[in-house]
Amino acid sequence: MKIVALVAAAGLALAAAACSKPTEEPNAGSTSAAAAKFAACMVTDTGGIDDHSFNASSWAGMQAAESANPAIKAGYTPSTTMADYDPNLTQSVTKGCQYVQAVGGLMGDATKKVATANPKVQFAIVDAGNQGLANVYPIQFETQQAAYLAGYLAAGYSKSGKVGTYGGMKIPPVTIFMDGFADGVAAYNKAKGKNVQLLGWDKAKQDGLFADDFVSQEKGKQKSDTLAAQGADVIFPVAGGAGLGTAANAGSKYVVIWVDADGFETTKYGSVMLTTVVKNSKDGVKDALAKSAATPGTLLTGGFLGTLENNGVSLAPYHDFDSKIDPALKAEIDKLKADIIAGTIKVESPAQPK
Amino acid sequence: MTTSVLDAELAVPTGYWTRARKTGAVMTGLGLLATIVFGLLATGEAARFAYGETVDGKGIDIPGNVGAILFGLIAVAAGVALLVTGRHFGLLVGTALLAFIVSALCWQMSVSPVSHIMPLGSVAAITFTAAIPFIFGSLGGVLCERTGVVNVAIEGQLLTGAFFGSLFGTVTGSFWLGLVAAMVGGALLSAILAVFAIRYLVDQVVVGIVLNVFAGGLTAFFYEQVMRPDTDAYNFPERVPTWPVPGLSEIPVLGPALFNGTIFSYGSLIAVAVVTLTLFRTRWGLRTRAVGEHPAAADTVGIRVLGLRYLNVLIAGAVAGFGGAYFSLQSTTGFSKYMVSGAGFIALAAMIFGRWNPVGALLASLFFGFFGALTSFLIGISSPIPSQFLNMLPYVATIFAVTGLVGRVRAPAADGKPYVKG
Repeated sequence: MKIVALVAAAGLALAAAACSKPTEEPNAGSTSAAAAKFAACMVTDTGGIDDHSFNASSWAGMQAAESANPAIKAGYTPSTTMADYDPNLTQSVTKGCQYVQAVGGLMGDATKKVATANPKVQFAIVDAGNQGLANVYPIQFETQQAAYLAGYLAAGYSKSGKVGTYGGMKIPPVTIFMDGFADGVAAYNKAKGKNVQLLGWDKAKQDGLFADDFVSQEKGKQKSDTLAAQGADVIFPVAGGAGLGTAANAGSKYVVIWVDADGFETTKYGSVMLTTVVKNSKDGVKDALAKSAATPGTLLTGGFLGTLENNGVSLAPYHDFDSKIDPALKAEIDKLKADIIAGTIKVESPAQPK
Repeated sequence: MTTSVLDAELAVPTGYWTRARKTGAVMTGLGLLATIVFGLLATGEAARFAYGETVDGKGIDIPGNVGAILFGLIAVAAGVALLVTGRHFGLLVGTALLAFIVSALCWQMSVSPVSHIMPLGSVAAITFTAAIPFIFGSLGGVLCERTGVVNVAIEGQLLTGAFFGSLFGTVTGSFWLGLVAAMVGGALLSAILAVFAIRYLVDQVVVGIVLNVFAGGLTAFFYEQVMRPDTDAYNFPERVPTWPVPGLSEIPVLGPALFNGTIFSYGSLIAVAVVTLTLFRTRWGLRTRAVGEHPAAADTVGIRVLGLRYLNVLIAGAVAGFGGAYFSLQSTTGFSKYMVSGAGFIALAAMIFGRWNPVGALLASLFFGFFGALTSFLIGISSPIPSQFLNMLPYVATIFAVTGLVGRVRAPAADGKPYVKG
């Protein structure tokens, strides 16, 4: 039995090591030694660093700030389950990080707890408010504005008169996309006297189709297969990595509108990407980190609110589809964008930052 | 000992209220519920069941309220028949449940603000593809457990298969070699299970759980270190091609599901057939079952108990590994961390639900796949039922099925018990 216990323990240890190994250590050892360095640590949510989505773009922001300011040393810790959030954030503090970046609304509670316990450390969180704490810097987005443009585009592009969407999980940072998208489709119908149907989300009821997963491409594929069978020829997966299952199976059945980071550039499936509702976490994170590193020891005030106006949210270029979209439709979308920035059109969602 | 257990289970319970009659009463109740509640809630709007893969094309129309009441009554009739006769259990329960579901669908579709059409071909296709990993996984479980080794490491075997399939499929440029590698990968993980369970007599459930964690961590680690830095070189495999059977793939409803498949869909059916035949019709199968039921007796007649257990656990790993490649070679192109996402545990449930029988496992897998497809469909047409409840559907159905329909399931007698020659 001893041998057995030993081997089992070794196996567990190895597995645990493999799980939690941060792949890009912020030279934790050297940071504490060299006082000049500013250690910045990011904790990913369960989507992982390469979700082709907001974890990836937040990390890109960390790296951008790092290369702009050599004093910054950036690193990240991946979370595999929601139970990892708290220990990962705590571990980031104990290893001496001066700036801790949390990613995702689901991490709000864990961030609040750890930030309360460490009032001198600067925290920042993407997609959540400041939790009532002075040392949490919120990075939030009026995503519904850009999603509105995407909804209008989808309705105008659809030939079947049906467009579809599904989310990864029913949480505000996801449903805000779906709300904006629904309003965009409705706006198109109103403007053109058409009846393009949106499948998978009912804004009034605030209920719709969810994969309940941000990782499983298989579940994403099943949701989009269902939508395609109902005739949807434009599909908008708001599900991080799970949405890749939708993109991989598009073929000629439907086109995809991606979320967060330009899917034409960040995924292997550029040829099916009509456009992307970009949430510029990259710039939001980069600014926050740069400011924090410039004034070490003092806490940031305010927060970042990305809008169409400051390019914090946007509609990505159409890339391969540029020639396939009616120029008149493109012009209407540019006009809508200008109207939203000017404030003549208000796009609202129960999930938008308060 | 084995015989007495069997006798006890097969013995006809005394008294009027047998399990069949009780189930019949429940089915009658469900039917009445459907007739009255669904019938009242449904509108006269026609619900259309289209035969094809999309909402276009031929189909059959039923006014929602008529359909809801009609199928509700069919469910009542089947339930009453079962209650009165106590016979034809499977047929009558199947009819009652199916009628209940169709009645519910008629109601849902007639009130949907989005679509009154259900594309049956698509529902069938989604059901079957969703079931593929469950089928291979539960076969892996059956092979292992019939020989007396508990296999809760199915999740890990699937994951290892997905990883190896993608890695070697990309490096060699051939999905065939990816599939071979996936089987080797699954078998390697199984080998660890075999050594600990058979040689070192460790608690098999514990080893299985540890292996799941181990496989998850290890594949995630190599994914980060090897695949992610250079996706094109290590994680962009060729996708398995679709092989439509000319003519047959055009059959309404079931054609696209059964005859427009890939090596995984055809392979899963072939695998079920092969395992069924070999397990119940060959010398190897007889010996395997003997070892799983009563290893001491098998040993006394000269069967190499441990050798056979090693062999079967390895085969089980290879089968599950092959199924795991579905995730990285068909479902999408490439591996991602933890992509199996619980399918191995559903496969485990399918194996038990299917009573450790390959055909049972197939049917149970399809059952899970069907409820998944149904849930997506209902939410897709903006069902009035909140999505949280609909998402519970597969699990509620499972609990109901396992407790109500399957009755007492009996694992192989020596399942999980290490054999020590004594």
